[in-house]
Amino acid sequence: MLEAPFMLRALAELTLLALICGPVSVFVFARRLSFVADALTHTVFPGVVAGFLVSGADGVFGGALVAGLVTAVVLTLLTRGGLLSDDAATAVVLTALFSVGVALVSRRSSYTSDLTAFLFGRLLTVTPGQLVETAVLAVLTLTLVAIGARAWVFRAFDVGGAAAAGYRIARLDLALNLVVALVVVAAVRAVGTILVVALLIVPAAAARMLTDRLIAMAAAGTVLTLLCGYAGLWLSWTASVDHGVRLTSATAVVLALVLAYVLLLPVGLLRRRRPA
Amino acid sequence: MAEPPPPGPVPAQRHASQPTALRIEAAGFGYRGTTVLWDVELTVGEGRTLALVGPNGAGKSTLIKSVTGLADLVTGSVTVLGRALPKARGLAAYVPQAETLDPDFPVSAADVVLMGRYRRIGWWRPTGRADRDAALAALDRVGLADRASTRFGLLSGGQRQRVLVARAIAAEARLLLLDEPLNGVDATSQERILTALGELTATGTAVVISTHDLAVAARIADQVCVLNGRQWAAGTPGEVLTPEVLREAYGNHAVDLPDGRTMLVET
Repeated sequence: MLEAPFMLRALAELTLLALICGPVSVFVFARRLSFVADALTHTVFPGVVAGFLVSGADGVFGGALVAGLVTAVVLTLLTRGGLLSDDAATAVVLTALFSVGVALVSRRSSYTSDLTAFLFGRLLTVTPGQLVETAVLAVLTLTLVAIGARAWVFRAFDVGGAAAAGYRIARLDLALNLVVALVVVAAVRAVGTILVVALLIVPAAAARMLTDRLIAMAAAGTVLTLLCGYAGLWLSWTASVDHGVRLTSATAVVLALVLAYVLLLPVGLLRRRRPA
Repeated sequence: MAEPPPPGPVPAQRHASQPTALRIEAAGFGYRGTTVLWDVELTVGEGRTLALVGPNGAGKSTLIKSVTGLADLVTGSVTVLGRALPKARGLAAYVPQAETLDPDFPVSAADVVLMGRYRRIGWWRPTGRADRDAALAALDRVGLADRASTRFGLLSGGQRQRVLVARAIAAEARLLLLDEPLNGVDATSQERILTALGELTATGTAVVISTHDLAVAARIADQVCVLNGRQWAAGTPGEVLTPEVLREAYGNHAVDLPDGRTMLVET
């Protein structure tokens, strides 16, 4: 399978995504930001479409980046001021921007094809240039995680304690939302705006079944994502080449991740019954 | 903004001989511009203990959260160790009620105590041996050194509260703010916590503790402040914890008197 250069590039892309999704998903889990992550995956959609309309495939990255960063700031401001509850603010931003994306994409004559690519990604058409962009985002994301990890954990566990210690809570929240946005932008072309949320939630949720330690969760989430990425690619390849069944690679990767989570559920339940 | 309740804060006893750890002057506290606690005037010297008492909703937590930055100082001024809010944030350590924290959060007792060292460690430096040793020593102070690797949520409620006190000890702050740390805590843990607080004040740390237990307030505090929407009284326990003051401040509520009796106050 890996003799094909496009499969090798797809695996390299998934490896980079695993390196950032493992750690970042732990903070999404710890801060209970699953809905925010879901919202970010939807709100980059109009950015993706607008970028495509302006500059074709090369514009997708920039459009997603702008939309993701703007959404992170807007979500932080809305929830900080107490204008809306976290859930309500997130839902308003999610639906509003996703609608804009649908309206934009519907102006294209090749509506269905483009929409499918935006929503579900094109993992097998990742170019070397896109790999470089993902690598740059991965380095930036991991650097931010290395700097902010302790403060984010403190804030997630005890916001009052973190505030008393001198951390600026709004800034911490903004920084984490921006990091989640960066991950979404890094992953959106490969796995699409719909499926990218799985990479932000499932790794930590599955790793939580194996360990009670955050750093171990990050490591286990990374390894799981990597393994499931390889398994998903193999499944997609085998289904398509050997059996003539069309199974998109990104879908197969996400299915493998979800399957891993389901298989690990009993392990987590057993560990809870016999606490250390 | 709501109208303030009738005026008349009773000034707290000042301890001119000690350097001031916390000074609150003509302060009103609240959330998003709405004041819920009026007319607070308090001074806590280093090595002194102030107990905040009052019925539920009196504003005890609001006052403490205002010093941490989670609630607003609407009027007046608050000075921590000589620095006014908001610049003073980060100088105090905060101990919340353990039951307000997620017991499923995947951290060990030692991890929680290490959080108290994070500001000293900074953003870049890895956690060093000195920090881990300080965390273990703090856990030892509350009798939980042998539970360092136990997940926080698997400890009993009293043990979790002791871990949070250990976190404040590890922070080496000169001002501790404890928000009802004795609620629902077993007798052993309560004694451990009170002993640890006594040791801290002996070394010059100031303690502000909110509690419903008036007997505890009378036992450990140099000053007691009675709150209920405003500051009703402040002074030594003997001056403040009297049936007259409590009846006035608590209204139609049951009150535990310092001598152990429970008094039903009818107005």
